[in-house]
Amino acid sequence: MSTTSQKHRDFVGEPMGDKPVIALSGIGETLGKKLEEQGFDKAFVVLGQFLLLKKDTEMFTDWLKDATGANSRQAGSCAQCLKEWCDAFL
Amino acid sequence: MPFVEDPAHLSIARLKSDLLAHNVALPPAASKKEVYVELHLKNIDQKNAAEFSSDDEEETREAARESSGFEHSRDKDPEVTQMPDPSDLTDEYLREALLKHGVKAGPIVASTRTLYENKLRKLLLHSNGDDELYSDSEEEQEKRDDIESVLEEQKPEEAKKIKGENDKTFSITQMVQEMESRGSLSDCTVKELNSSRVGEHCSRSYRFAMNDLDKSRSTDQSLYHTPKDVHPPRGMKLPQESGKPILKDLFPDTKPTTTGIYVTPRRPIKGAAQRPVQYSYSYPDTLVSPVTLERREVERRLVSIHIQILFFFFVACILFYIYVNVQDSTVLALLDSFSHCFDKEGWAFLQPGTEGTQAVCKQD
Repeated sequence: MSTTSQKHRDFVGEPMGDKPVIALSGIGETLGKKLEEQGFDKAFVVLGQFLLLKKDTEMFTDWLKDATGANSRQAGSCAQCLKEWCDAFL
Repeated sequence: MPFVEDPAHLSIARLKSDLLAHNVALPPAASKKEVYVELHLKNIDQKNAAEFSSDDEEETREAARESSGFEHSRDKDPEVTQMPDPSDLTDEYLREALLKHGVKAGPIVASTRTLYENKLRKLLLHSNGDDELYSDSEEEQEKRDDIESVLEEQKPEEAKKIKGENDKTFSITQMVQEMESRGSLSDCTVKELNSSRVGEHCSRSYRFAMNDLDKSRSTDQSLYHTPKDVHPPRGMKLPQESGKPILKDLFPDTKPTTTGIYVTPRRPIKGAAQRPVQYSYSYPDTLVSPVTLERREVERRLVSIHIQILFFFFVACILFYIYVNVQDSTVLALLDSFSHCFDKEGWAFLQPGTEGTQAVCKQD
């Protein structure tokens, strides 16, 4: 049994389309709000940032922690979620 | 820098990175925190004050400090001061600098710039301060900050060694370490636990807490690490009533753990899930003699060999008896009658019987 959450599986299971940022694994209400304040109002914008960092999960977690104050677990979860989505659909 | 932090509240690693960022020469490796704080206060706070002044003034001040810093520190850390502050570099130069350290940077845009700057700073720090005690990256520090905060208060040295451990160490290990350090055991034991990789059966017995502390600190992975795909090396799980000497006798090379938790993986239970007992191959064939094998094979048939041998002799006796009695006419007649009976069914190979034989046949 994998250790991914239901949210993770829901996100990775289909193209993200127009999903909001809180659909990302690891991003809840608080972090979602902070991201929206910075202009990342949709999940695909965060994906854009992830792709800009060349899909490097480490750098992405750094960025997310810096930008939103996320902790390691949340940032790591989000990075992993995006990485898997990219592996599946990109 | 949007806000000014009191340098005394920063960690030494942070102070060092700040000093490097502001192009200040680092003090010798074994300096105390106060030295760093002093330098930080002297140089960086000056610079912060200068931020409010005009750009030109700032540039000149920075240039002056840079040159003075350069001359002053040339004999100490030439490598550091040759590299200007990453935030002063252009995108191209930043990318080149990162490439020098083996990092292939992606597009350096507004959102990614600070990240790459921080990365370069970290790389510079690492290249200069690898042999120092607090050489771990900030990332690793953040990863274990909640546990570290407890441990750093009590045992700063061991806490750093935890960070140096493999990422595969379970968080349970650190929780155990926490408990351990609170349980006021000796320093040695904490070091030992850090170096050993405890599996999921971690918290079982505290019996052997005060065992030999003089033993070496080498890891005993075969004893403690219990991944699912590795065959457990040891035998039974010891009962908790057994005392220390028994453990020493049974497992003479047991390394004492810091919490006194000893893990002895149990032999897999036969007959448990996914481990069906297989009896068919439990008896090796080489130990059984061929005679026994033959006998077994024969025994599997319907009739045992003894009975077969007896039957054989019995039939032989009958035939012998008949042969012996062939001279007697009655027996001959009997034989003829048998043949006559068979003739009825189409077996014609003996002389046709007389009335006597017919009578005998009728009797049958």
